[in-house]
Amino acid sequence: MMSPALFLLALITLVPFFSIIWMSFNDVSLMGGLAFEFSGLDNWQRVFTDPDIRSSWLISLVYFLATVGLEMVIGTVMALLVYSLTRGSNIIISLLLIPMFIAPVIVGLLGRFMLDPSHGLYAWLLNETGLFDGNILGSVGSAMVAVILMDVWEWTPLVALIVLAGLASVPEDTLEAAEMDGAKYGQKLLYIILPSISNILLVALLIRAMDAIRFFAIIFITTNGGPADSTKIIPIRLYDIAFRFFDLGYAAAVGITMLVFSIMVATAFTKLLKRQETSS
Amino acid sequence: MTQFKRRDILKGMGGLAGLSLMGAGPLRTALAQGMASDEAWKQASGTTIQFISENTPPTTAIAANLASFQELTGITVNITEMQLGALVQKVALDFGAGRSAFDVIYADPYQVLAPYHRGLVDLNTFINDDQQPVVPKGIEDFIPTQLAAAGRFKDRESLYTLPYDCPTMIWIYRRDLFEKYHDQMQQDLGFDPTPSDSTTWEQYYQIAEWFSNGNASEVQYGTGHQAQQYDSLMCDFSNVLFAYGGDYFANGQQVGLLGTDSPGACQLTSEPAMEAARFYQKLLKVAHPGSTSWDWTGVANAFQNGEFAMMPEWHEFAGSLESSQLQGKIGYAPLPKGPARSANLWGGTGIGINANASAEKQKAAWLFLVWATSPQTQLMGLKSEVGGGTPTRQSVYAMPEVKAASTPPTDMPNMLTADTMLTAWQDEHIGLRPKIAQWNEVDTVIFTELSKMLAGQMSPEETMQSAKQRIDRIVGA
Repeated sequence: MMSPALFLLALITLVPFFSIIWMSFNDVSLMGGLAFEFSGLDNWQRVFTDPDIRSSWLISLVYFLATVGLEMVIGTVMALLVYSLTRGSNIIISLLLIPMFIAPVIVGLLGRFMLDPSHGLYAWLLNETGLFDGNILGSVGSAMVAVILMDVWEWTPLVALIVLAGLASVPEDTLEAAEMDGAKYGQKLLYIILPSISNILLVALLIRAMDAIRFFAIIFITTNGGPADSTKIIPIRLYDIAFRFFDLGYAAAVGITMLVFSIMVATAFTKLLKRQETSS
Repeated sequence: MTQFKRRDILKGMGGLAGLSLMGAGPLRTALAQGMASDEAWKQASGTTIQFISENTPPTTAIAANLASFQELTGITVNITEMQLGALVQKVALDFGAGRSAFDVIYADPYQVLAPYHRGLVDLNTFINDDQQPVVPKGIEDFIPTQLAAAGRFKDRESLYTLPYDCPTMIWIYRRDLFEKYHDQMQQDLGFDPTPSDSTTWEQYYQIAEWFSNGNASEVQYGTGHQAQQYDSLMCDFSNVLFAYGGDYFANGQQVGLLGTDSPGACQLTSEPAMEAARFYQKLLKVAHPGSTSWDWTGVANAFQNGEFAMMPEWHEFAGSLESSQLQGKIGYAPLPKGPARSANLWGGTGIGINANASAEKQKAAWLFLVWATSPQTQLMGLKSEVGGGTPTRQSVYAMPEVKAASTPPTDMPNMLTADTMLTAWQDEHIGLRPKIAQWNEVDTVIFTELSKMLAGQMSPEETMQSAKQRIDRIVGA
């Protein structure tokens, strides 16, 4: 009964997938209709020898670790704080969730506006307080910090929401027993709460990691990969290769490496998740 | 099928009174007077064509006045406006698919015309066709450098587009401040600071430094630049590069005017180019620090906010600046000169016809091209309340009402730059970037390496060396 749907799903998934693999072994021309010229391993050789690609992967790694790490820590703390509230938690949750409902492009535009050195509120505040008097989006280092914080601002609530759902499953009786035994909050957190939600934390980590690998809109809007390529993560580089230079064969090869990286990260997290389930 | 002969067209040109009586309105009358018979304009009646354009002021004005074209021809035009980057993607994919989702294409000379000129119709097909309306005042009426730069590729035979818009970089400055502090600046700097033909980039730097030193309470800095790691940075730098006698490739003006498939080795390591890079780095050190995060819109907004006293900027921003609180306080001049010349980067574009479109749609598209680039439509654009660009035709600048609008007060603010523009478009003053198929990639190398220089990661010499190496690899030199 499900076979027509499965067939359709396979068709719309597998045909583009194999096309892209084939494309990565060709020089692709758009003029006069799509034309492929077999180029062997040329595109793949470029992927592994191009210093720009290497540099973009390194920047991506920094970006990936910073955003996912901060989101996990802050999101978990936020969830624990909300969970500890006895009143008004619904309103607080609603307010906390607002950023994740804003489109990333809008977050980028907002960031660009707020950080503009001539009229940006945040730029002015940082300048007045003496914390930073340079051009935030126009300086190497600060631009990276800015785009990381924009992503963290937008997606930390998602982590908080997931963790909050997990906290509901923490056994109340165990917590009460620990309290009766005189356990402090830190001990309860370390030995009861966190082990109870470790699976849900891994799920949150997996979701955010998958998103972070293909992060694009905010950087595209705010810095376009600059200054000095300091925010040119791999999806921005891929966009340039594919849709500005129309070097589609090479773009296909770069895209496939991103896919492989995503699969590796997902596999690692899934294995970790399974190990957790087995041990618990 | 109706056959139109040259005689019919001549009859049409003389048929002003008859057309007026048909009630098509003054625009239709004026167009018909200069072009052809009414039948020629109606030959594609009932056709619908798609026009894809960058979201520019001329297209905004055209969109607001499409009714007159539809009334004249019976053709429906659907306009899709978007940013240039997105437009290039759609057009490239349209060509790749061998389709004509868009019949009339806003063909940027560098990103569309150079790589995809084979996908555009040679307009001589229509120009030499007796059955088609003639281009009013002939194609000779277009500003010659713009006709070649926007419309041709490699030779002067084929013509792929008609010049449609013509943004060009000029020197925009706070005239009120230059007048107020004129004597003080002259005394401190030792030269007349008023922007003129003889002002040099070195003097521009000194003026910028003078303002940045806190000599004028109205502004914090002397100059602002569009130096974000983006196309705008290449544009900003190119003015200085050309002024210093440098260029991206040998025979640069020719490569810019007509374009080529094989530009040869990159020339950025020449001494004039190195000197230009050294100067540009020095200039940006006294510029508003926000410059490295601004594109052309960002720098215009900051200028409007009173952050600095002057900037190199696209002249079409005059329209929005003159409707801000700076109205009447702004001056315009060609960009300063370097050791070689004053160079004003041109960023114009033409409109062409998709060769994949059906014959019927191509005819309709040609009628639209003739109408959209006609002197009357360009005049209409100038008067439009929703904006409108700057004419690409010489005859429009000669019109008495346009001439009168070049001095304030005016209802055509873009015309306040007219005198400056007519100078900037002269062969010896216009700055043309290379028209090559690989331009997007070369452009990216240029602005990325320059961005590294401005971030202090590379010296000007290293920057030019690195850019040359990468560009040579891209163009296969």
